[in-house]
Amino acid sequence: MPTDTKRVRGPEASQSPSLFLCKPATVLPSRGPRADGRQRDQVDVRPVFVRCGLVSQAKGSAYIEAGNTKLMCCVYGPRETERKDETDMKCGRLIADMRFAPFSCRERGSWIQGSQEKDLSLMLHESLQPAVCLHKYPRSQIEVNVMVLENSGSILAHAVTCASLALADAGIEMYDLVLGCSMRQDGTSYMVDPSYVEESGCSDNQGGLTVAFLPSLNQISGLQSDGEMAEETLTAGVRTCIEGCYKLYPVIQQALSKAVRRAAPPPPES
Amino acid sequence: MATVQVSEAEKVYILHGIRDDLRVDGRGCEDYRHMEIETDVVSNTDGSAKVTLGHTAVLVGIKADIGKPRPGVPNEGYLEFFVDCSANATPEFEGRGGEELGTELSNTLYKVFNNKHSVDLKSLCISAGEHCWVLYVDVLLLQCDGNLYDAISVAIKAALFNTKIPKVHISADEEGGKEIELSDDPYDCMRLDVENVPCIVTLCKVGHRHVVDVTLQEKACSVASLIISVTHTGTVTCTRKVGGGSLDPESIFEMTEAGKRVGKALHAPLMKLLQQEESLGKTRQKVGFLG
Repeated sequence: MPTDTKRVRGPEASQSPSLFLCKPATVLPSRGPRADGRQRDQVDVRPVFVRCGLVSQAKGSAYIEAGNTKLMCCVYGPRETERKDETDMKCGRLIADMRFAPFSCRERGSWIQGSQEKDLSLMLHESLQPAVCLHKYPRSQIEVNVMVLENSGSILAHAVTCASLALADAGIEMYDLVLGCSMRQDGTSYMVDPSYVEESGCSDNQGGLTVAFLPSLNQISGLQSDGEMAEETLTAGVRTCIEGCYKLYPVIQQALSKAVRRAAPPPPES
Repeated sequence: MATVQVSEAEKVYILHGIRDDLRVDGRGCEDYRHMEIETDVVSNTDGSAKVTLGHTAVLVGIKADIGKPRPGVPNEGYLEFFVDCSANATPEFEGRGGEELGTELSNTLYKVFNNKHSVDLKSLCISAGEHCWVLYVDVLLLQCDGNLYDAISVAIKAALFNTKIPKVHISADEEGGKEIELSDDPYDCMRLDVENVPCIVTLCKVGHRHVVDVTLQEKACSVASLIISVTHTGTVTCTRKVGGGSLDPESIFEMTEAGKRVGKALHAPLMKLLQQEESLGKTRQKVGFLG
């Protein structure tokens, strides 16, 4: 394992105090309303706060907050490809990177990219690639960096939304915005946009699903599920997530048009 | 994944053929290539299997080690997956070239097995909170001709079936601590129940149809694929869309249904074959790597 000499790490054998709790963590009931008052079996996404153009140095940036989940994304590019041997003459490259701040999850993470982060970066890349017009940027690369500030559930879904907003804010040509939505199947009921506690429950017939969707083109650009689910549940879950994306669409559009108006105010009527 | 360059004319040829349910090698859209499975090929492992699917060859070795259980689950063992893309398969994998593909494959395997029923982890526990069996599943790609996920999942299922974990006895030693003793009889071992181990089916979208078990040429004509892992009862444990293209929701529904059908049909013949091979015992003819 490569050691990170630039940061002071905790002792090797340290453990999170949550392992030493006297009473076990409360198991969420499978019936009844969810902890934060939202409903089960309904497309009830958390209200979302989005803002573009926060980072002045980046070409485009976006910040998203949904419940306690906080993410920010910066886009740099189109720039010259760093590795000359991988320069593609016909289309550009999209590089997506997703990182967690060490304080973002319940247990302290490390600054070195673990396999979970690499996997999420790959999913992010696969979700964004169909939407970006890479053939318009030959021999260039566009970098998308997502930083998770607080992980309170559904991070991949919100990362996809945040990244596509940042790409739009940077003026990168895209076919459509990419919106993400995730859901958690718990026995026979489902919960849309689960929080961290809801995601980490463990029982029979539990599974999670994240969908990245292009609303105007009606195409799915990213799909990932794990846990055990029947095939009908999976199909119904995909439909639910698509509905969740449609619910999110007007908010994202509004935030984007506000940002554009702020950056380039319309000429005064005269 | 290793790639081949395919000309536009060849792409059109493959596309038109698939549209009429006839692939280049004569298969239908949901047919697999000729698959050969052999278990117990490497004697130093606790379980091993080699699968050849067309020109794709995968070798899986499982070693059981005694380790400490994970903090959150003290009465369960666990599995660790590692996929190594050997430079023998294609020169692109030389050095660190195959690392990206290897990480992608192992992360998917973690997700596929990330549920309670695939492998009975409680049977891997020796003493709660202190000792448990850790199964290191190491996958080696020998030859790469498309459809790595399917070959790897079948090989893992066969290798887990073949795994013989030695039985241990825990006794208290002089100072009151626990001592682990391995039984002296090399044939006194525990086997794993692999009924619920899922198999992965990769479906590629080529034109308007989806295709199972693609070769590298057919892969070059598709923009997106769906990986779906199915158990013998039809439960889906993991799905993932791979590739740089997008898919219609209707295609995804069609592909999941086809994947479930194909995956479910894969398990019964596989188990029968494995049990048949096991029952041959010493009379089995070992084919090995030069067959």
